[in-house]
Amino acid sequence: MIENKGLLGSGLGKVLHNQRYIVWFYVLNILLGLGGTVGFVNQAGPILDHSLQSGRLLRGFSLGVLIEMFSRPEFGPSMASRAPAIFFALLFLVATALFLPGVLQGYASTYRLPSEDFFRVCGRNLWRFIRLMIVAGIVMGVIAGILFGVQGALVKKAEESTNELLSVYVRLAGLTVIFLVMTVLRIWFDLAEVDIVLSDQRAVRKSIGTSLRHTFRSLGRLLATYLLATMVAAIVLLGGLCTWMKFVAPENVVGAFLVSQLTLLFLLIPRFWQRGITVSYWQQQMMVPVVAVWPIERQPVTMPEVSDGAPVVPGPPLAIPES
Amino acid sequence: MQIRWTFVIFIAVFAPGLTASMNRRTVAATTPQAPPLPARTAATAENAKDAAPISIPETTLAINSDKPMSQRVVHYQIDAKYDTGKHIVDAIEVLTYHNLTGQALDHFPFHLYQNAFQPKSTWVREAKIQGSRDTDYEKWEEKQYGSEEIKRIEVVGQGDLTAQLQYIAPDDGNKDDKTVIDLHLIRPIAPGAYVQFKIAFRTKFPETQARSGWRRDFVLGGQWFPKVGVWWHGAWNCHQYHATTEFFADFGVYDVKLTLPQNEIVGASGVLVEAKNNPDNTQTVTYHGDDIHDFAWTASPRYKIRESQYQAQMGPIQLRFLMQPAHWSQAERHERITRETLDRFEKWYGPYPYKTLTVVDPEPDSAAGGMEYPTFITGDTSWFMPEGLHLPEVVVEHEFGHQYWYGMVATNEFEDAWMDEGINSYTEVKVLDSILGKNTSMLNIAGITLGEREEQRLSYIGVADRDAMAQKAYEYYSFGSYGGITYGKTASVLLTLEGVIGEDTMAKAMHTYFMKYCFTHPTKEDFLKTIEEVSGKDLRWYFNQAVYGSPVMDYEVLDINSFPVNWYEEKKDKKAAKKAAEGDTVYQSYVSLHRKNDFVMPVEVEIKFDNGETVREHWDGKNRWTRFSYQKKAKVVSAQLDPDHTVQIDRNNFNNSRLAEPNAKPVHKVANFWLFITQCLSQALGWWAV
Repeated sequence: MIENKGLLGSGLGKVLHNQRYIVWFYVLNILLGLGGTVGFVNQAGPILDHSLQSGRLLRGFSLGVLIEMFSRPEFGPSMASRAPAIFFALLFLVATALFLPGVLQGYASTYRLPSEDFFRVCGRNLWRFIRLMIVAGIVMGVIAGILFGVQGALVKKAEESTNELLSVYVRLAGLTVIFLVMTVLRIWFDLAEVDIVLSDQRAVRKSIGTSLRHTFRSLGRLLATYLLATMVAAIVLLGGLCTWMKFVAPENVVGAFLVSQLTLLFLLIPRFWQRGITVSYWQQQMMVPVVAVWPIERQPVTMPEVSDGAPVVPGPPLAIPES
Repeated sequence: MQIRWTFVIFIAVFAPGLTASMNRRTVAATTPQAPPLPARTAATAENAKDAAPISIPETTLAINSDKPMSQRVVHYQIDAKYDTGKHIVDAIEVLTYHNLTGQALDHFPFHLYQNAFQPKSTWVREAKIQGSRDTDYEKWEEKQYGSEEIKRIEVVGQGDLTAQLQYIAPDDGNKDDKTVIDLHLIRPIAPGAYVQFKIAFRTKFPETQARSGWRRDFVLGGQWFPKVGVWWHGAWNCHQYHATTEFFADFGVYDVKLTLPQNEIVGASGVLVEAKNNPDNTQTVTYHGDDIHDFAWTASPRYKIRESQYQAQMGPIQLRFLMQPAHWSQAERHERITRETLDRFEKWYGPYPYKTLTVVDPEPDSAAGGMEYPTFITGDTSWFMPEGLHLPEVVVEHEFGHQYWYGMVATNEFEDAWMDEGINSYTEVKVLDSILGKNTSMLNIAGITLGEREEQRLSYIGVADRDAMAQKAYEYYSFGSYGGITYGKTASVLLTLEGVIGEDTMAKAMHTYFMKYCFTHPTKEDFLKTIEEVSGKDLRWYFNQAVYGSPVMDYEVLDINSFPVNWYEEKKDKKAAKKAAEGDTVYQSYVSLHRKNDFVMPVEVEIKFDNGETVREHWDGKNRWTRFSYQKKAKVVSAQLDPDHTVQIDRNNFNNSRLAEPNAKPVHKVANFWLFITQCLSQALGWWAV
């Protein structure tokens, strides 16, 4: 537990000392989010802007009005608004992969990482990260596919039971297991990412192997810290949504925007905290120690006195071979 | 051969017991004995001469009335044994039919509804084309099929007529459809006479389809016995079972004896008159129903029972709720909505005369939810049902409403589905509005709301130009069109009618309609004429479009515009601008209205000016467009068609109003949700993928 506290604390310290990264990612998140929203606004605006009917969306949130808006032919195909949202979400993913090496290097540094160093690290690790993402995607995809398949089969079997709740429990248990397994896999590949960046490891497979060993060596410790950060994220999200629903008046669009964006800003922290934890763990457990070698200085040799009081006759000086 | 022996044993053992029991436990003085069904070789006309005269009993055991409330045409006495493992009912049915048609009848068609659940049936054929909410037919296996077979039929006085049976397909000629069977008699039944049929039949329930059948250890016995057609408007009305149709039957008396394992908890139409355990670990329960036109039952070993009493206008009603164990916490919700619905129906439409009402919470994932039978309905809920999501309330209210619109006002569901489902959807809106709120009757969670009337309208506008209300239920384009028109359009049309004749007048018309036609089979014209009579208005212009036709309504505020009357002077004179600021400028304003589609109806429009003034105009809507013009020291701010929101059938509510200046706040609000979701999606991807 003390070790965990150390990881959690040092991880959080890294996040707090490098708050600018969260701000940068938040700005990226909202800018790309706005890009993903433009299509929707272009579709909904002509329907809502001149109609009094849209007041029912403003003064409350009438699901009927919203459904009717989506069903209007002039709204166009729903893909026209969904596609940009998905595209910009994927773009955020790519941006994260691109800039993450700089963040990890920044977390490992004891000083403020200059921008040029940040981007240099990003560039140097880009291809490595892409390779790692492909490996992670395959591994996580295969394992998730198997787990979901097993879960589906178990749920189907449970649905034959006369106990209605059995299938619910099986589903929940299955999702919990899948979540835990996926978290373990995430820890593994997070450690690999850190190792690639901080060891300047060209061979991605070596980092994957090393990280796998460390993941299982310190599984309980790392999993506990990751789960705690996830719980914080869940609390942030629920808290934000509750605040939005309870304390923001339906027609207060600015208030809703601020609360939702603050929630999203704070929602970034737990994931960065997890990355801070992996950097701390790497520094504590995975970093190969550097052995400093210093030149040997000559020291004067003091001869001990003879116990009978006779003077000590100095011998010939020691011959030092020339190097 | 084996069937024959079973048949004889049934006759010998159960038929006398059933009738004796009924005579003992019900009023019974008038209950006729159902004579034992003789062996095939013994059936002769001579035997009939010796039998007691047959009639329909005038029992009132199941109603809060001391005399029958309907013209009783049929009396079904059924002695059935249910095999829970095979999902098979073996039964003897004694049907007494009173020929009130005014003419001799030489043949009788019977519904065999369970044969619909066979691969070549019309029902399945249509369901595959139109879409089914119950079954994925690609995965449908033989063990899930249903069937209904008449093993033997005898007509008292005419003997065994099994050989006379012939499957017919009056609607589509499908020779593989076995949902209607016709029996030709040797001698016709004279007007006013009675005829008694003795039928041995076997029904195998399907895995639940169309709210009938088994699922796990649950069974819902609906449309499970051979049922005679209705003589209506000079002919037999006995349609095949279609994917979108329901039922039609005559009123009468039901005495049903069910034998099934002792661990089964049973619910059924009517009142329970006897329950006894048998030595072979079975139980036999006997139910009696008066003035009903169908009988359904359910059994499951796991029901939890909640019972209470409701004091109705005609007497007490025993309320019985059969709940799934995982839904037990929702039993109170079910009871509350049942009581409140009963209260509204009795106040607004008329009394509920029956002594019982059974509300069944069916097996989850069973396609048995949301069904109505006389004094017996099924709800629909799930283990997770937040208070603000009113699905159980909506379903229970709707199915209870069918006790009136189908149960008592027994319209032809094959031909006029809108008269039961649609009128019921209209009263559903009215009742739920009053109980749960106009805009929140369906959903009220975290500020997100949906009203039942909106839901009905939304289901209609998607299929508005597809079909008319007044057409046979099996002739709709699709299942979606059937639902959108019969439920959604009818409800919306009747809500809109309130705006034409007044809400109070409409309420009076509905009350009059119920009181005049309960326990009869009214036609669409009976309903429409009642509204015209009560309102004192000729409403043909409305009914011809809304009920008999499929025109679509879409009015719009095409344009609003204001400009200074002396615009040419102001252009030259800059002082004029200052004058305008002082409010002295006179503006010429126009408001243009447009009828985009073919439904013609007078409409109101409310025009608001920037000095706070409001003007209401009336437009007969006959021309394609009209324009109102004004000269005022104020500019038009907005125009709104149907400002009282009485029109529910307009296909597009957004163009019913127009603001002079756009208001971007609503779109910003919705866009903020979209933005939030997009960002959440981005972060989730970033969380898991890298």
